[in-house]
Amino acid sequence: MSETQLSRRDQILLHCAPIREEHVDDRALRTAVHHARKTASFAIQQNFDKAACALVQAIPIPKEIIEWVPTESFIIPPRRTWKKYAQNPVFLATGIAAAVIAVILIFQLVDRLNRFPGEPTARRLLTTASSTHSMILDPVKTNAGALGDYFFMKQRLAHYDVPSEFADLKTLGLRVFDDEEGRRVAQVWAVEKKMQFFLFPADRDPKTGATKHFNGWRYVDQDRWTGVVREEGGVCFMAALRGSEKDLAPYISKPKE
Amino acid sequence: MAEEKQDLLQLYRFCFLMVADAAKAQEIFHATLREAAQQAADGEAPRDRLWFFRNARWRCLEAGEQGLQAEEVDFEPGEIADWAPTQIQKLEPEQFAIWVAAAPDPQRTALALFYLNEFSYRDLLSVTELKPPELSKLLSNGRREFQAWLDATLPVSQV
Repeated sequence: MSETQLSRRDQILLHCAPIREEHVDDRALRTAVHHARKTASFAIQQNFDKAACALVQAIPIPKEIIEWVPTESFIIPPRRTWKKYAQNPVFLATGIAAAVIAVILIFQLVDRLNRFPGEPTARRLLTTASSTHSMILDPVKTNAGALGDYFFMKQRLAHYDVPSEFADLKTLGLRVFDDEEGRRVAQVWAVEKKMQFFLFPADRDPKTGATKHFNGWRYVDQDRWTGVVREEGGVCFMAALRGSEKDLAPYISKPKE
Repeated sequence: MAEEKQDLLQLYRFCFLMVADAAKAQEIFHATLREAAQQAADGEAPRDRLWFFRNARWRCLEAGEQGLQAEEVDFEPGEIADWAPTQIQKLEPEQFAIWVAAAPDPQRTALALFYLNEFSYRDLLSVTELKPPELSKLLSNGRREFQAWLDATLPVSQV
Protein backbone atom coordinates (compact mmCIF):
# COMPACT_ATOMS: atom_id res chain seq x y z
CA MET A 1 0.00 0.00 0.00
CA SER A 2 1.43 3.39 -0.91
CA GLU A 3 1.34 6.46 1.33
CA THR A 4 -1.28 8.10 -0.83
CA GLN A 5 -3.68 5.22 -0.18
CA LEU A 6 -3.50 5.68 3.59
CA SER A 7 -6.48 7.53 4.96
CA ARG A 8 -5.97 10.86 6.67
CA ARG A 9 -7.01 9.23 9.94
CA ASP A 10 -4.39 6.51 9.50
CA GLN A 11 -1.73 9.09 8.73
CA ILE A 12 -2.58 11.05 11.90
CA LEU A 13 -2.49 7.93 14.04
CA LEU A 14 0.75 6.65 12.53
CA HIS A 15 2.66 9.65 13.83
CA CYS A 16 1.88 8.34 17.34
CA ALA A 17 2.72 4.70 16.60
CA PRO A 18 4.91 3.33 19.40
CA ILE A 19 7.86 1.20 18.33
CA ARG A 20 6.97 -1.74 20.52
CA GLU A 21 4.01 -3.65 19.20
CA GLU A 22 2.68 -4.37 22.70
CA HIS A 23 2.32 -0.62 23.20
CA VAL A 24 -0.17 -0.37 20.33
CA ASP A 25 -3.23 -0.70 22.55
CA ASP A 26 -5.77 1.02 20.36
CA ARG A 27 -7.75 -0.73 17.67
CA ALA A 28 -7.71 2.15 15.19
CA LEU A 29 -3.97 2.62 15.66
CA ARG A 30 -3.39 -1.13 15.23
CA THR A 31 -5.31 -1.00 11.96
CA ALA A 32 -3.35 2.03 10.79
CA VAL A 33 -0.05 0.29 11.61
CA HIS A 34 -1.22 -2.77 9.74
CA HIS A 35 -2.06 -0.65 6.68
CA ALA A 36 1.26 1.18 6.79
CA ARG A 37 3.48 -1.80 7.59
CA LYS A 38 4.96 -2.02 4.10
CA THR A 39 5.20 1.70 3.31
CA ALA A 40 8.60 3.29 3.01
CA SER A 41 7.72 6.40 5.01
CA PHE A 42 6.54 4.37 7.99
CA ALA A 43 9.73 2.29 7.89
CA ILE A 44 11.79 5.50 7.88
CA GLN A 45 9.78 6.87 10.82
CA GLN A 46 10.22 3.64 12.79
CA ASN A 47 13.98 3.57 12.16
CA PHE A 48 14.20 7.22 13.19
CA ASP A 49 12.27 6.52 16.40
CA LYS A 50 14.30 3.40 17.19
CA ALA A 51 17.55 5.33 16.91
CA ALA A 52 16.20 8.11 19.16
CA CYS A 53 14.96 5.57 21.71
CA ALA A 54 18.35 3.88 21.77
CA LEU A 55 19.90 7.26 22.46
CA VAL A 56 17.50 7.85 25.36
CA GLN A 57 18.27 4.45 26.85
CA ALA A 58 21.93 5.43 26.77
CA ILE A 59 21.27 8.27 29.25
CA PRO A 60 23.52 7.31 32.15
CA ILE A 61 21.78 6.74 35.48
CA PRO A 62 23.74 8.28 38.35
CA LYS A 63 24.96 5.85 40.99
CA GLU A 64 22.98 7.73 43.66
CA ILE A 65 19.74 7.06 41.78
CA ILE A 66 20.43 3.34 41.39
CA GLU A 67 21.29 3.06 45.07
CA TRP A 68 18.43 5.28 46.19
CA VAL A 69 15.65 3.49 44.34
CA PRO A 70 13.62 2.07 47.21
CA THR A 71 12.96 -1.63 47.50
CA GLU A 72 9.43 -1.19 48.81
CA SER A 73 6.56 -0.49 46.46
CA PHE A 74 4.81 2.89 46.51
CA ILE A 75 2.10 1.78 44.16
CA ILE A 76 -1.12 0.24 45.40
CA PRO A 77 -1.23 -3.33 44.09
CA PRO A 78 -3.98 -3.39 41.50
CA ARG A 79 -7.20 -4.90 42.77
CA ARG A 80 -7.96 -8.16 41.09
CA THR A 81 -11.32 -7.67 39.50
CA TRP A 82 -13.53 -10.54 38.45
CA LYS A 83 -12.43 -9.87 34.87
CA LYS A 84 -8.80 -10.47 35.86
CA TYR A 85 -9.76 -13.66 37.61
CA ALA A 86 -11.77 -14.73 34.59
CA GLN A 87 -8.77 -14.18 32.32
CA ASN A 88 -6.50 -16.31 34.51
CA PRO A 89 -6.12 -19.67 32.71
CA VAL A 90 -6.23 -21.60 36.00
CA PHE A 91 -9.50 -19.98 37.07
CA LEU A 92 -10.82 -20.21 33.53
CA ALA A 93 -10.10 -23.96 33.31
CA THR A 94 -11.52 -24.56 36.79
CA GLY A 95 -14.59 -22.49 35.96
CA ILE A 96 -15.24 -24.37 32.72
CA ALA A 97 -14.80 -27.72 34.49
CA ALA A 98 -17.15 -26.64 37.29
CA ALA A 99 -19.71 -25.41 34.74
CA VAL A 100 -19.56 -28.72 32.82
CA ILE A 101 -19.96 -30.70 36.07
CA ALA A 102 -22.86 -28.45 37.08
CA VAL A 103 -24.58 -28.97 33.71
CA ILE A 104 -24.14 -32.76 33.98
CA LEU A 105 -25.50 -32.73 37.53
CA ILE A 106 -28.49 -30.62 36.46
CA PHE A 107 -29.18 -33.01 33.58
CA GLN A 108 -28.97 -35.98 35.94
CA LEU A 109 -31.19 -34.24 38.47
CA VAL A 110 -33.81 -33.36 35.87
CA ASP A 111 -33.59 -36.89 34.50
CA ARG A 112 -34.06 -38.33 37.97
CA LEU A 113 -36.99 -36.02 38.71
CA ASN A 114 -38.65 -37.18 35.51
CA ARG A 115 -38.22 -40.85 36.30
CA PHE A 116 -41.17 -42.76 37.69
CA PRO A 117 -41.94 -46.38 38.57
CA GLY A 118 -42.89 -48.24 35.41
CA GLU A 119 -40.91 -45.97 33.11
CA PRO A 120 -38.90 -48.87 31.54
CA THR A 121 -42.17 -50.68 30.78
CA ALA A 122 -43.62 -47.50 29.28
CA ARG A 123 -40.59 -47.15 27.01
CA ARG A 124 -40.89 -50.74 25.84
CA LEU A 125 -44.57 -50.18 25.10
CA LEU A 126 -43.74 -47.12 23.04
CA THR A 127 -41.60 -49.37 20.87
CA THR A 128 -44.58 -51.74 20.65
CA ALA A 129 -46.80 -48.80 19.68
CA SER A 130 -44.48 -47.78 16.87
CA SER A 131 -44.55 -51.28 15.38
CA THR A 132 -48.22 -52.21 15.85
CA HIS A 133 -50.75 -52.12 13.04
CA SER A 134 -54.45 -51.75 13.68
CA MET A 135 -55.05 -54.95 11.76
CA ILE A 136 -53.84 -57.11 14.66
CA LEU A 137 -56.32 -55.51 17.04
CA ASP A 138 -59.86 -56.70 17.70
CA PRO A 139 -62.18 -54.08 16.26
CA VAL A 140 -64.05 -52.33 19.10
CA LYS A 141 -65.70 -49.06 18.21
CA THR A 142 -66.79 -47.21 21.32
CA ASN A 143 -65.82 -44.41 23.66
CA ALA A 144 -62.52 -45.10 25.43
CA GLY A 145 -64.24 -44.40 28.74
CA ALA A 146 -66.44 -47.47 28.28
CA LEU A 147 -63.50 -49.87 28.05
CA GLY A 148 -63.04 -50.19 31.82
CA ASP A 149 -66.14 -52.35 32.06
CA TYR A 150 -65.14 -54.28 28.95
CA PHE A 151 -61.72 -55.16 30.40
CA PHE A 152 -63.24 -56.13 33.73
CA MET A 153 -66.06 -58.23 32.27
CA LYS A 154 -64.22 -59.87 29.38
CA GLN A 155 -60.61 -60.03 30.58
CA ARG A 156 -61.02 -59.87 34.38
CA LEU A 157 -58.71 -56.86 34.46
CA ALA A 158 -59.71 -54.70 37.40
CA HIS A 159 -59.01 -50.93 37.39
CA TYR A 160 -58.04 -50.94 33.70
CA ASP A 161 -59.90 -47.67 33.27
CA VAL A 162 -59.13 -44.96 30.72
CA PRO A 163 -58.77 -41.62 32.59
CA SER A 164 -61.41 -38.98 32.03
CA GLU A 165 -58.97 -36.84 29.98
CA PHE A 166 -59.08 -39.47 27.22
CA ALA A 167 -62.46 -41.07 27.99
CA ASP A 168 -64.35 -39.29 25.19
CA LEU A 169 -62.05 -40.40 22.38
CA LYS A 170 -63.40 -42.94 19.91
CA THR A 171 -61.62 -46.28 19.67
CA LEU A 172 -60.89 -48.46 16.63
CA GLY A 173 -59.77 -51.65 18.28
CA LEU A 174 -57.94 -53.26 21.15
CA ARG A 175 -56.00 -56.27 22.25
CA VAL A 176 -54.76 -57.75 25.52
CA PHE A 177 -51.40 -59.45 25.63
CA ASP A 178 -48.73 -60.58 28.11
CA ASP A 179 -45.53 -58.57 28.19
CA GLU A 180 -42.01 -60.02 28.68
CA GLU A 181 -42.61 -60.28 32.41
CA GLY A 182 -45.94 -62.03 31.97
CA ARG A 183 -48.03 -59.03 33.01
CA ARG A 184 -51.32 -58.35 31.29
CA VAL A 185 -51.18 -55.31 29.02
CA ALA A 186 -54.19 -53.76 27.28
CA GLN A 187 -53.53 -51.88 24.06
CA VAL A 188 -56.20 -49.62 22.56
CA TRP A 189 -56.15 -47.88 19.17
CA ALA A 190 -57.93 -44.53 19.13
CA VAL A 191 -59.21 -42.71 16.04
CA GLU A 192 -57.78 -39.32 16.99
CA LYS A 193 -54.23 -38.71 15.79
CA LYS A 194 -53.68 -42.48 15.56
CA MET A 195 -53.20 -42.38 19.29
CA GLN A 196 -52.71 -45.59 21.26
CA PHE A 197 -53.52 -46.29 24.89
CA PHE A 198 -51.79 -48.82 27.07
CA LEU A 199 -52.94 -50.06 30.43
CA PHE A 200 -50.52 -52.16 32.42
CA PRO A 201 -49.88 -53.07 36.07
CA ALA A 202 -47.85 -50.54 38.01
CA ASP A 203 -44.44 -51.60 39.34
CA ARG A 204 -44.44 -53.28 42.73
CA ASP A 205 -41.88 -53.40 45.50
CA PRO A 206 -40.27 -56.86 45.17
CA LYS A 207 -40.00 -57.26 48.96
CA THR A 208 -43.36 -56.03 50.18
CA GLY A 209 -45.37 -56.40 46.97
CA ALA A 210 -46.78 -52.93 47.51
CA THR A 211 -47.57 -50.83 44.44
CA LYS A 212 -45.09 -48.08 43.70
CA HIS A 213 -47.35 -45.05 43.36
CA PHE A 214 -46.58 -41.75 41.68
CA ASN A 215 -48.64 -38.65 41.28
CA GLY A 216 -49.78 -36.85 38.16
CA TRP A 217 -48.87 -37.26 34.54
CA ARG A 218 -45.32 -38.13 33.48
CA TYR A 219 -43.88 -37.87 30.01
CA VAL A 220 -41.74 -40.50 28.40
CA ASP A 221 -40.36 -40.68 24.87
CA GLN A 222 -38.72 -43.23 22.65
CA ASP A 223 -37.89 -43.19 18.94
CA ARG A 224 -39.99 -40.13 18.07
CA TRP A 225 -42.93 -41.52 20.02
CA THR A 226 -44.11 -39.78 23.14
CA GLY A 227 -46.26 -41.10 25.94
CA VAL A 228 -47.92 -39.57 28.93
CA VAL A 229 -48.36 -41.90 31.89
CA ARG A 230 -50.48 -41.85 35.06
CA GLU A 231 -50.92 -44.40 37.81
CA GLU A 232 -54.19 -45.05 39.59
CA GLY A 233 -55.34 -48.04 41.60
CA GLY A 234 -52.17 -50.00 40.86
CA VAL A 235 -52.63 -49.70 37.08
CA CYS A 236 -50.69 -47.41 34.78
CA PHE A 237 -52.37 -45.74 31.85
CA MET A 238 -50.30 -44.42 28.94
CA ALA A 239 -51.52 -42.43 25.96
CA ALA A 240 -48.96 -42.59 23.18
CA LEU A 241 -48.59 -40.96 19.77
CA ARG A 242 -45.97 -40.24 17.20
CA GLY A 243 -44.95 -36.71 18.07
CA SER A 244 -43.78 -34.66 20.97
CA GLU A 245 -44.97 -33.59 24.39
CA LYS A 246 -46.74 -30.59 22.95
CA ASP A 247 -49.06 -32.93 20.99
CA LEU A 248 -50.19 -34.61 24.21
CA ALA A 249 -50.16 -31.59 26.48
CA PRO A 250 -53.62 -30.27 25.39
CA TYR A 251 -55.29 -33.51 26.52
CA ILE A 252 -53.84 -33.66 30.01
CA SER A 253 -54.21 -29.93 30.64
CA LYS A 254 -57.99 -30.24 30.22
CA PRO A 255 -59.80 -29.91 33.54
CA LYS A 256 -61.30 -33.16 34.77
CA GLU A 257 -65.06 -33.42 34.35
CA MET B 1 9.27 -5.29 41.90
CA ALA B 2 12.04 -5.39 39.25
CA GLU B 3 9.55 -3.85 36.84
CA GLU B 4 8.82 -1.04 39.26
CA LYS B 5 12.54 -0.40 39.73
CA GLN B 6 12.92 -0.23 35.94
CA ASP B 7 10.01 2.26 35.82
CA LEU B 8 11.74 4.43 38.39
CA LEU B 9 15.00 4.41 36.43
CA GLN B 10 12.98 5.46 33.39
CA LEU B 11 11.48 8.20 35.55
CA TYR B 12 14.97 9.61 36.05
CA ARG B 13 15.59 9.50 32.28
CA PHE B 14 12.27 11.29 31.75
CA CYS B 15 13.30 14.03 34.19
CA PHE B 16 16.65 14.33 32.45
CA LEU B 17 15.03 14.68 29.05
CA MET B 18 12.67 17.33 30.39
CA VAL B 19 15.32 19.51 32.05
CA ALA B 20 18.58 18.40 30.38
CA ASP B 21 20.38 18.79 33.67
CA ALA B 22 21.49 15.77 35.71
CA ALA B 23 21.44 17.58 39.06
CA LYS B 24 17.96 19.03 38.48
CA ALA B 25 16.68 15.71 37.17
CA GLN B 26 18.00 13.96 40.27
CA GLU B 27 16.37 16.56 42.53
CA ILE B 28 13.01 16.20 40.80
CA PHE B 29 13.30 12.43 40.86
CA HIS B 30 13.91 12.46 44.63
CA ALA B 31 11.13 14.97 45.26
CA THR B 32 8.67 12.82 43.30
CA LEU B 33 9.63 9.68 45.19
CA ARG B 34 9.45 11.49 48.51
CA GLU B 35 5.91 12.57 47.74
CA ALA B 36 4.97 9.03 46.73
CA ALA B 37 6.48 7.71 49.98
CA GLN B 38 4.58 10.33 51.96
CA GLN B 39 1.32 9.40 50.26
CA ALA B 40 2.00 5.70 50.82
CA ALA B 41 2.63 6.40 54.51
CA ASP B 42 -0.71 8.25 54.67
CA GLY B 43 -2.42 5.21 53.15
CA GLU B 44 -2.99 6.92 49.81
CA ALA B 45 -0.27 5.36 47.70
CA PRO B 46 -0.26 6.19 43.97
CA ARG B 47 -2.57 3.96 41.99
CA ASP B 48 -0.27 3.40 39.01
CA ARG B 49 3.15 4.20 37.60
CA LEU B 50 1.74 7.05 35.47
CA TRP B 51 1.29 9.05 38.68
CA PHE B 52 5.10 9.32 38.99
CA PHE B 53 5.48 10.68 35.47
CA ARG B 54 2.57 13.12 35.82
CA ASN B 55 3.97 14.37 39.09
CA ALA B 56 7.53 14.66 37.74
CA ARG B 57 6.27 16.38 34.62
CA TRP B 58 4.89 19.37 36.51
CA ARG B 59 7.99 19.57 38.66
CA CYS B 60 10.15 19.60 35.53
CA LEU B 61 8.06 22.32 33.90
CA GLU B 62 8.24 24.38 37.08
CA ALA B 63 12.00 23.91 37.25
CA GLY B 64 12.30 24.80 33.57
CA GLU B 65 10.52 28.12 34.11
CA GLN B 66 12.92 29.07 36.89
CA GLY B 67 16.17 28.25 35.06
CA LEU B 68 17.73 29.63 31.93
CA GLN B 69 15.40 29.61 28.96
CA ALA B 70 16.51 27.92 25.78
CA GLU B 71 17.32 30.25 22.95
CA GLU B 72 14.79 29.97 20.19
CA VAL B 73 16.45 28.93 16.98
CA ASP B 74 14.34 28.47 13.91
CA PHE B 75 15.18 25.58 11.66
CA GLU B 76 13.26 24.94 8.52
CA PRO B 77 11.56 21.63 9.34
CA GLY B 78 12.46 18.95 6.85
CA GLU B 79 11.12 15.52 6.07
CA ILE B 80 12.75 12.79 8.12
CA ALA B 81 15.48 11.17 6.14
CA ASP B 82 16.40 7.54 5.87
CA TRP B 83 19.95 8.41 6.95
CA ALA B 84 18.68 9.99 10.19
CA PRO B 85 19.52 6.89 12.31
CA THR B 86 23.18 7.28 11.31
CA GLN B 87 23.09 10.95 12.32
CA ILE B 88 21.39 10.10 15.64
CA GLN B 89 23.99 7.45 16.45
CA LYS B 90 26.63 10.18 16.33
CA LEU B 91 24.88 12.13 19.09
CA GLU B 92 25.43 12.03 22.81
CA PRO B 93 22.32 11.45 24.95
CA GLU B 94 22.86 14.86 26.56
CA GLN B 95 22.57 16.57 23.16
CA PHE B 96 19.23 14.91 22.55
CA ALA B 97 18.08 15.89 26.05
CA ILE B 98 19.07 19.51 25.40
CA TRP B 99 17.06 19.49 22.20
CA VAL B 100 14.00 17.94 23.87
CA ALA B 101 14.19 20.25 26.89
CA ALA B 102 14.27 23.25 24.58
CA ALA B 103 10.93 22.28 23.01
CA PRO B 104 7.84 24.07 24.30
CA ASP B 105 5.43 22.07 26.40
CA PRO B 106 3.33 19.96 25.76
CA GLN B 107 5.61 18.96 22.86
CA ARG B 108 8.46 18.52 25.32
CA THR B 109 6.47 16.08 27.47
CA ALA B 110 5.16 14.24 24.43
CA LEU B 111 8.64 13.75 22.96
CA ALA B 112 10.22 12.77 26.29
CA LEU B 113 7.53 10.21 27.07
CA PHE B 114 7.40 8.88 23.53
CA TYR B 115 11.14 8.31 23.22
CA LEU B 116 11.35 6.60 26.60
CA ASN B 117 9.69 3.76 24.67
CA GLU B 118 7.97 2.75 27.88
CA PHE B 119 4.36 3.74 27.32
CA SER B 120 1.46 2.55 25.30
CA TYR B 121 -0.46 4.90 23.05
CA ARG B 122 -3.25 5.28 25.61
CA ASP B 123 -0.74 5.92 28.40
CA LEU B 124 0.84 8.67 26.28
CA LEU B 125 -2.52 10.34 25.76
CA SER B 126 -3.29 10.02 29.45
CA VAL B 127 -0.05 11.54 30.79
CA THR B 128 0.20 14.29 28.18
CA GLU B 129 -3.54 15.03 28.50
CA LEU B 130 -3.66 15.48 24.74
CA LYS B 131 -6.13 14.40 22.08
CA PRO B 132 -4.88 11.99 19.38
CA PRO B 133 -4.61 14.65 16.61
CA GLU B 134 -2.74 16.99 18.98
CA LEU B 135 -0.26 14.29 20.04
CA SER B 136 0.15 13.28 16.41
CA LYS B 137 0.94 16.84 15.31
CA LEU B 138 3.40 17.43 18.13
CA LEU B 139 5.31 14.20 17.48
CA SER B 140 5.29 14.67 13.71
CA ASN B 141 6.54 18.25 13.97
CA GLY B 142 9.07 17.16 16.59
CA ARG B 143 10.56 14.58 14.24
CA ARG B 144 10.82 17.06 11.38
CA GLU B 145 12.31 19.77 13.58
CA PHE B 146 14.78 17.30 15.03
CA GLN B 147 15.72 16.23 11.50
CA ALA B 148 16.37 19.88 10.61
CA TRP B 149 18.47 20.25 13.74
CA LEU B 150 20.37 17.06 12.85
CA ASP B 151 21.00 18.32 9.34
CA ALA B 152 22.29 21.60 10.75
CA THR B 153 24.41 19.99 13.47
CA LEU B 154 25.59 16.90 11.62
CA PRO B 155 25.37 17.58 7.89
CA VAL B 156 25.05 14.46 5.79
CA SER B 157 28.51 15.08 4.33
CA GLN B 158 30.02 14.63 7.80
CA VAL B 159 28.13 11.42 8.62
